[in-house]
Amino acid sequence: MNAEVLIDSIISGLLLGLVYGLAAIGLNLIWGVMKVINLSHGAFIALGMFSIWILYTSFGIFPYIGIIMILGLGLVLGIITYFGALHRVIDAPELSTLLATFSVSLIIIGFGTFIFKTNPKALDFSLGGIEAGSIVILGTKVATGVISIIFTVLLYAFLYKTRPGKAIRAVSMNRTAAELMGINSSLILALSFGIGIALAMVAGALIATIFPFTILSGGGYELKSFVICVLGGLGSPIGALVGGITLGLIESVVTLGIQTSFVPVLEFALLVAILVLKPSGLLGGK
Amino acid sequence: MLKVEGLESGYGTMQVLWGADLEVKKGTITTVLGPNGAGKSTLLNTIFGLVKPWNGRIILNGEDVTFDPPHDKVEKGLTIVLEGRHLFPSMTVRENLILGAYTDRAMEKLESSLELVYSLFPVLKERAEQMAGTLSGGEQQMLAIARSLMTNPDIVLMDEPSQGLAPKLVMEVFDTITKLKNEGLTILLVEQNVFASLEISDYAYVLNEGRIVLGGTIDEVKDSEEIKKVYLGL
Repeated sequence: MNAEVLIDSIISGLLLGLVYGLAAIGLNLIWGVMKVINLSHGAFIALGMFSIWILYTSFGIFPYIGIIMILGLGLVLGIITYFGALHRVIDAPELSTLLATFSVSLIIIGFGTFIFKTNPKALDFSLGGIEAGSIVILGTKVATGVISIIFTVLLYAFLYKTRPGKAIRAVSMNRTAAELMGINSSLILALSFGIGIALAMVAGALIATIFPFTILSGGGYELKSFVICVLGGLGSPIGALVGGITLGLIESVVTLGIQTSFVPVLEFALLVAILVLKPSGLLGGK
Repeated sequence: MLKVEGLESGYGTMQVLWGADLEVKKGTITTVLGPNGAGKSTLLNTIFGLVKPWNGRIILNGEDVTFDPPHDKVEKGLTIVLEGRHLFPSMTVRENLILGAYTDRAMEKLESSLELVYSLFPVLKERAEQMAGTLSGGEQQMLAIARSLMTNPDIVLMDEPSQGLAPKLVMEVFDTITKLKNEGLTILLVEQNVFASLEISDYAYVLNEGRIVLGGTIDEVKDSEEIKKVYLGL
């Protein structure tokens, strides 16, 4: 192994880590505000992948424009899913919301398999590459990293500077108190779920610009999101981004030495190790 | 201003309120007294909508609001200070107050409301940038009251505002409630502290086993046989 390969992997890992982090923020937001573990996260990531694929191959829409459309689509789908599947069980014990989101996942993957089959798809799209010596970084990876950062910053600005954003933070801290302020907490929960799903779908779309995918691909990325949330501490968006970068780096550097198919084993081992050694996440949390 | 007729509610299959009637007149302090478990907190929570009414009517400013969700009642001028404060612990005092002015009704008056609560509670101005979770118990109670005022209410419901506070702070809370009345607010109070609350109130109701057994002006209630019966078992 030479230094250039290592540098190449580190940069790739960093850029991929950012989009993993973006996906995890979606999962994290839903948990933080609603106390719902969203088992349909992976299915929506896959839906994001297929959305950008359809927009690009059938309608010829430039992928990075498509991402903005997918953000809107995700928001709408998330809000519909909330009122359809979650609203009535939101105050029930966690098992009910877990089963509700799992059902949503089965429905999406079932329909997806029926329509798209399970053979792999790829976006026939390239932004060229950035060359430095013998290192070439794919343009799509750079764009993915940059867009992930932009979305994270926008989310922060939304949560801290806007009225609905402040209402989301209020509901996440104390739902009853938020109602006392005149905040319609059901609408805020629906909005939070919508944003969480939108982020998952955008992350899926970004990943699709880099890697091939099938309707079943979401599961692997959902697992990554869970590991990242545990790494960064559940309920902490910045922690999710840091966790994403950490996972991206580990993944791309370690695969220099071992087979790629071994990566999930490593991720599960990491998940278990953190849960045993530092359950509050590397960055603390509560 | 606020009228409650035949209000029934409870939790699950357990009925707590068995038809409560009361009226709160504009610009007064009305206290609901009663022994532990009489349903005092349930009464306030049902009026506000945190507990769903089973039967009866709640009329606010001439409008039937019986089944309105809490956030709609806030827009119509009702607010509540709950037992246990319910602050936003990892926001600053100032952020807590500003969130209090979330509704359209409240936002119009944000600046003047802020001025009012800072003049009533100077300590909150000093601690404006401090996290609400780091305040002392007394200060948290002040913040809970102040935040409810930020909603620009007509009527403030208060559930045991003096609970868990040191005796000196208890007196401060009662002084504050009197000041709120002088600012033109209407207050419906639920208290364990019978003597202090009778001192500041204009009207009182006695709730026992989910029913209003007595109501009237303070003097009428103070000297009645009923209150002796409820509190002393005579």
